[in-house]
Amino acid sequence: MSAADLAQVAASGLLIGLLYALIAAGLSLIFGLMDVVNFAHGELLMLAMYATFLLNRAAGLDPLLATPLIALFLFALGLVLYRGLMARALTVTVNRGMVQIFITFGLAIFLRGAAQFAFGAEFRSIPKSWLANESARLGPVILPWPQLAAGLIAFLAFLLLFLVLRSEFGRALEATREDREAVALIGIDRERIFALGFGLGTGAVGIAGAALAAFYYISPDVGANFALIAYVTVALGGFGSLAGALLAGILIGEVEAFTAFLLTPSLKQLGMFALYVAVLALRPQGLFGARQ
Amino acid sequence: MRWRPGGRVRFFAALVLSGFLLAQSMAARAADAPDIPIGAVFPLTGNGSEVGLDAKAALETEAEIINTPHPPIPMLLGAGGGLPHLGGAKVRLIFADSQNDPQKARAEAERLITQEHVVAIIGSYTSATAATISQVADRYEIPYISSDNSSPSLSARGLKWFFRTSPHDVMFTQAMFDFFDWIGKKTGRPPKSLALIYEDSIFGADSSRVQKEMAAAAHLPIVADIRYRANSPSLSAEAERLRAAHADVLMPSSYTNDAILLMRAMHELGYQPPAIMAQDAGFVQKAFLDAVGPLAEGVMSRSAFALDAVAARPAIPAVNQRYRARSGKDLNDLTGRELTALQVLADAIDRAGSTDHEKLRAALRATDIDGKQTIMPWQGVRFDETGQNVEATPVIQQVIGGAYVTVFPPEVATHAPLWHVGE
Repeated sequence: MSAADLAQVAASGLLIGLLYALIAAGLSLIFGLMDVVNFAHGELLMLAMYATFLLNRAAGLDPLLATPLIALFLFALGLVLYRGLMARALTVTVNRGMVQIFITFGLAIFLRGAAQFAFGAEFRSIPKSWLANESARLGPVILPWPQLAAGLIAFLAFLLLFLVLRSEFGRALEATREDREAVALIGIDRERIFALGFGLGTGAVGIAGAALAAFYYISPDVGANFALIAYVTVALGGFGSLAGALLAGILIGEVEAFTAFLLTPSLKQLGMFALYVAVLALRPQGLFGARQ
Repeated sequence: MRWRPGGRVRFFAALVLSGFLLAQSMAARAADAPDIPIGAVFPLTGNGSEVGLDAKAALETEAEIINTPHPPIPMLLGAGGGLPHLGGAKVRLIFADSQNDPQKARAEAERLITQEHVVAIIGSYTSATAATISQVADRYEIPYISSDNSSPSLSARGLKWFFRTSPHDVMFTQAMFDFFDWIGKKTGRPPKSLALIYEDSIFGADSSRVQKEMAAAAHLPIVADIRYRANSPSLSAEAERLRAAHADVLMPSSYTNDAILLMRAMHELGYQPPAIMAQDAGFVQKAFLDAVGPLAEGVMSRSAFALDAVAARPAIPAVNQRYRARSGKDLNDLTGRELTALQVLADAIDRAGSTDHEKLRAALRATDIDGKQTIMPWQGVRFDETGQNVEATPVIQQVIGGAYVTVFPPEVATHAPLWHVGE
């Protein structure tokens, strides 16, 4: 095992970690805003991947170019889902927590079944893209361009999210999060803010899905591979914290890569969950979470 | 209860419908009365149904070849027109759906034997369902023909009514090591080290266990032994370990999604193992070849069937054409085996000259079919005392020019293998 090997593992961990972070960011945003854990998050990722695949097949659009379109599509889908499902779930008065869990969980199962019905169970992948099978070299470290592009896109998406949260809208979002009832008194439309926030969260996962589709296989169950990691990332970074999601995503990517390389690959989730347990024991609110 | 306005209409609709169904099943029964009923248990719905429906088409193709008049096909019972020693009797397939569930498979096998009075059962894709079906068959003393179950333990349970036409996993892996030995002598560049990578499931564990035993017997060191988590988001670190190990031959046991991921991850690191010898599964799927495209060139896998071995097995084109007319697909490793299982069973029934179960078992035991009389690249079909076909010799296939072609053994090979080890 040489220093070059370790640098390579670190680079691979960083690139996949940035994607974990972006997937978690959408989840964290939604949770922070409306206290809802979206169990269909992985399935929204899957939908974004299929949308990228279909756009590529129908119009020959490269995943790189498709990314903004997919983000918009998922944003719109988020608005529709919020208005059609989430808004209702938020207004129930009995057993609200359970209703929210069942609604998003049911949505997940529905989306998975619908995808299998529409696209079949087989594994798809985008046959050709600009960056496919190209690699950049940084000394001894090889950086595959599709992953590098995905990492950069994730990073840019984070910058964009930070900017949005610093704008007037971001402040309204923050205020709504702080006190849902009081904002109504100062003329903020809570429903509108919630819908836009939900759309922002699904839009973020749309970007991640489009970037991922360039180099990953696509199947109705693909979301599950990433969803579990996203939940851990959110809890690790602190619920509702964007910076926390970014740091925790990269951390998990690195821990996973190094556990697989140094210990045994079948235990690669061990490192990730050990880290999670350690953080929960020492800092239950997560790395960047606010103390309750 | 009062009649609602719609109730009467619905009642009559149901009556008409059930009458229609009854008439249909009675018509089917009347036409098939003198035939020889053979049960077939496969997953026809749910998980595994794609494979089960292909199996159904394969068995129906073979039944059609046996039963109907047609230009002769150069293989055993390829003349058509029924079973000659039974006055041209026809075989009749009765399908049952296991839903890929061992308990449902058991119940369906029992139903086929006690209610449909089948003379034998063919099955069943997964070894877990074969375990229960073959137990039921043994209890009722009806032959179970295992067409495509590959777990070695199935034929090691002392069942008297178990017959497996297909090779099992140990035979498949043996073919890989036979190939290493053969290519080493032929080229003077034998493999000197192996790397194993396998998923953390019963498939990966069994496959790698046999590979380790045979590697030890062949004095081939295993320089990387990697058990990985199936369905991971990334296999980059695993690929990095493989690159660091520098083995001559990589032997993966993975399903389609991980096979795609692994090939891409290795390529992204600029790593190309000198040779890849896969344990079937994901590496032979169309989705895999489509996804990794040119990266798959040179990948080898074991197979029980060789579609391209037309020179050695002249029946293949005619049989494949009939199968494709039914399913829209070419025969593959599984469907070839399923079709052949029915051929072997029908031959035994024909030689027994009767459907008596003891006579049928004696005929199966006495089976001795030359491989050239089948579509399979095997030496032949001959059962040992455990019911295992000891002449089911698998082939090694390699992706050359974007498709799998047969490279070993030389008797049925259509292409010379690409071999970059030691160059």
